[in-house]
Amino acid sequence: MIEIEGLSVSYRSGKKEVQALSGVSLSLPSGQITGLVGESGSGKTTLVMAILGLLPPEARVAGRILVDGADVVGMAENERDRFRWIRVALVPQGSQNAFNPVLSIGSQVAEPLRVHRGLGRREAEKRARMLLDEVGLGSKASERFPHELSGGQRQRAALAMALSCDPAFLLADEPTTALDVLIQAEIADLLKRAVRERKMGMALVTHDLPLASGLCETICVLDGGRLVETLPAKDLARGAKHPRTRALVAALLEMEGNLS
Amino acid sequence: MSALLEIRGLCVSFRSRGGEHPALRGVDLDLGKGESLAVIGESGSGKTTLLRAALGLVRPQAGTVRLFGRDLAAAGRRERTELLRRCGLMPQDPYGAVPPTLSVREAVLEPLLLVQGFRSTPGSALKTEALLREWGLPETGLWDARVSRSLSGGQRQRVCGARAMALDPELFLADEPTSMQDASLRGEIVAILERRVSSGMGLVLVTHDLILARKAAREGMVLYRGTAVEKGPTALLLEEPLHPYTAALARALPRLGRAISPPPTGRPAAGGLGCPYSERCDRADAACREAPPLREVEPGRFVACHQV
Repeated sequence: MIEIEGLSVSYRSGKKEVQALSGVSLSLPSGQITGLVGESGSGKTTLVMAILGLLPPEARVAGRILVDGADVVGMAENERDRFRWIRVALVPQGSQNAFNPVLSIGSQVAEPLRVHRGLGRREAEKRARMLLDEVGLGSKASERFPHELSGGQRQRAALAMALSCDPAFLLADEPTTALDVLIQAEIADLLKRAVRERKMGMALVTHDLPLASGLCETICVLDGGRLVETLPAKDLARGAKHPRTRALVAALLEMEGNLS
Repeated sequence: MSALLEIRGLCVSFRSRGGEHPALRGVDLDLGKGESLAVIGESGSGKTTLLRAALGLVRPQAGTVRLFGRDLAAAGRRERTELLRRCGLMPQDPYGAVPPTLSVREAVLEPLLLVQGFRSTPGSALKTEALLREWGLPETGLWDARVSRSLSGGQRQRVCGARAMALDPELFLADEPTSMQDASLRGEIVAILERRVSSGMGLVLVTHDLILARKAAREGMVLYRGTAVEKGPTALLLEEPLHPYTAALARALPRLGRAISPPPTGRPAAGGLGCPYSERCDRADAACREAPPLREVEPGRFVACHQV
């Protein structure tokens, strides 16, 4: 369970002070998928980076981020390092850049296990093969290199890596962006199963409202660094109250035309 | 003759150390003035290759491409340039599409300068500004910024759109033109395309998104591994798909208030005879060992499937 209380983040960009998040409070329960939805610049990626303690050093952070009760804000770096991967793991956006191009997939999925779980190389790589199998890539994928995988396969490998240390919570940042519809549906299905089978919590960060509505129980809508609405996903089409949410829904329905 | 683009029996394959990889296996396409066609399919289906071949950017192994009635293979260099100037291409990757040293304004102005012998006129400056506003870039402060810096992917993509429209193309080829846009801007880009089409521009839109296809184009062609498996009005492709592959694409599309249905898990195998989709199809039987022809099953609706 992750609880965020009154979180504000600002950066200095040149002479200007940029407020990326202002007073955001929300909770991300275990055992379900919560959608963090917003357009570019809404602050959703800043929120993820804040939870992981990966904001740039010049960022000013106020408020609290409680991960299973422990406040991440102001936590020492070596302490954060023990909690990343084990408590909270990230499935990054655009998995192209998430992998080192000169190392095999297997050794990269094994790395968090060696560093954070203290496993030996042989044992870690054995686990990595099992994880690659679990995400549908097959254990043989461990010998392959990132450029030999398609976008969808790389996204599966990124999920295997995120799952490596059995985290209690997954943060998935646009995990299906840039994948085509069929692959996107496969990854969505995979994420859903991982959360159910491993009884994890997950936050799905996305600008894709239909995707969020298909995967999440609850949707939190961010706009201009503020949380403007939290609502059950099933109420999105008809029950949205905030003008921003309604505008997003209207833009979608307009694209879909007069569909039933 | 108002045919802008006429493609017959187009075959394109790429060679690598692993051998020949067919990208298009005999595709036909017709587009006239004021018509819009969506080419729909997943990664690797050949849709981008089809766009590139339409402009003569890849050489086909077989088949013909006629642009504005003229066979591209028979046209000399100068004539080709003339033909291509009447076309606009909005490529899929906006990062590689604009010279990185140009400013936003210069990126849109450049095609105009190119045809005007590198002289800027008051007309071209005004036109550039109008295009930038139309494509959702009204912030004048941004116009002198370099494209390679300080622009988001979505903004770059819109610069590419404005650039591709600078010469008022008669034929516009757009490869996933809204892939990097937020929902609110996607509709605006579709509206730009619609406006141009209604005043006579021909549009070929490449996408994997049936909802976008339906919104922005009247007719659609679904490609699977380089073969057209279904053709018809986009509204029907989405709502009443005939081919099992079109149906899988329609089902996999996330829609508000509907659970996402994962596609059949089969994976394309290499080459082989017969229906290209049979390896993934849950309706395949012995008949599918023979390749099905694309046949008209209702007026205006074509499908290549033994099971329909």
